[in-house]
Amino acid sequence: MEEDRVLSSVHSTVFKESESLEGKCDKIEGYDFNQGVNYPKLLRSMLTTGFQASNLGEAIDVVNQMLDWRLADETTVPEDCSEEEKDPSYRESVKCKIFLGFTSNLVSSGVRDTIRYLVQHHMVDVIVTTTGGVEEDLIKCLAPTFKGDFSLPGAYLRSKGLNRIGNLLVPNDNYCKFEDWIIPIFDQMLKEQKEENVLWTPSKLLARLGKEINNESSYLYWAYKMNIPVFCPGLTDGSLGDMLYFHSFRTSGLVIDVVQDIRAMNGEAVHATPRKTGMIILGGGLPKHHICNANMMRNGADYAVFINTGQEFDGSDSGARPDEAVSWGKIRGSAKTVKVYCDATIAFPLLVAETFASKRTKP
Amino acid sequence: MSDEEHHFESSDAGASKTYPQQAGNIRKGGYIVIKGRPCKVVEVSTSKTGKHGHAKCHFVAIDIFTSKKLEDIVPSSHNCDVPHVNRVDYQLIDISEDGFYVSLLTDNGSTKDDLKLPTDEALLTQLKSGFEEGKDIVVSVMSAMGEEQMCALKEVSPK
Repeated sequence: MEEDRVLSSVHSTVFKESESLEGKCDKIEGYDFNQGVNYPKLLRSMLTTGFQASNLGEAIDVVNQMLDWRLADETTVPEDCSEEEKDPSYRESVKCKIFLGFTSNLVSSGVRDTIRYLVQHHMVDVIVTTTGGVEEDLIKCLAPTFKGDFSLPGAYLRSKGLNRIGNLLVPNDNYCKFEDWIIPIFDQMLKEQKEENVLWTPSKLLARLGKEINNESSYLYWAYKMNIPVFCPGLTDGSLGDMLYFHSFRTSGLVIDVVQDIRAMNGEAVHATPRKTGMIILGGGLPKHHICNANMMRNGADYAVFINTGQEFDGSDSGARPDEAVSWGKIRGSAKTVKVYCDATIAFPLLVAETFASKRTKP
Repeated sequence: MSDEEHHFESSDAGASKTYPQQAGNIRKGGYIVIKGRPCKVVEVSTSKTGKHGHAKCHFVAIDIFTSKKLEDIVPSSHNCDVPHVNRVDYQLIDISEDGFYVSLLTDNGSTKDDLKLPTDEALLTQLKSGFEEGKDIVVSVMSAMGEEQMCALKEVSPK
């Protein structure tokens, strides 16, 4: 009958036969708390939980690949490589070079201590951050940052001499302590520039500050001890920049050369070969672009993990996905990449737990 | 910081050329030493304590002798040097032959011959023409930190 034909036509439209995904895709399955509260299993379950949990699970995978890779894994040995590069034991020792980038708000947060752990154990090779990402670390050695609330009124806070960073509070006095600490160091650096012909660059200045702070809670201190360069091309944009500004009135002449540093930063990427390169970038802005740009000089990074809350609809670089970087040659077409859309204060400590930290504590 | 700023050597072991004053107390129209030069303050702005550290005073000042604009930023609790600026009037006696110095009559009747002609064009012209016309001229001499310069003159009508 007419009605039957319409019904079967509608039926076949609504219940369109589907392609089977069995064996092609992972099944979605969350953590079962009936097995108790097992944190490592809980974190591993994220891979099959879906949405950003899955992205975090994939990011953990990519970082573990970064950490596991050895030159020995590359089975094709180029004809023109050196004798040393042909040596199997040498090939076993060559690891991936890891660039870590992060924005200053993360250093104001407790993620600073996660970063310090990575630097302390030389688990990353190059660091790129903004000025705040440096001074907040140093200031925490002089005076603490406190937990506040996003809703605290601005005018009230100003009257109390409190500066708000999200739901964190930094008293003005902390910056006064920073000023008192750093100005004599600038005086000394200017003296060395004049008497010993030292040409300071942002990375050299930061190594010096790491040496001067001499405090094991600071990642900058460990970067100095482990000889890990910290690049900050935007050095003037922060309290440290304010200090350079004031210092120039009292005793002018301190020169900070950014050209030498861009040579060094791009050199880190260009001369990485035969090592692979991996990027772990928290947040957007300058650190994200600076690291990607340097890797463009070597035709792209081999691994990339972005953890940020940026969106691509406005065309910003901060919100751009790894695939956009592939179009620039900043990431290789063959690279393993993930973007986790999440606040790094949640995602990064969990990622480190399942990658750097667990590999270190394994026998 | 400028606490150890040198004071200029002076042959007389009398009063010092400058005195210290807290930066926060120096006002527009006052005097301040910037980079060793005595200056008159034309602008002061204070930035409150904040991300840049302690509260600071931003001074824009004019060198009282060269009229050059100088600036300085000082924490408001720090001391700055303030120059002693003196202004003395003298009667003009003569302008020297070689045209560099003037001869002035001091209070106690002796002459002061070491003052150079002013560098300011208008003042110089006014001085020369007034002198040539035989007018009685009284010059104001400003002195600070071992330097002195004619800064103004007035023609006095004969009694």
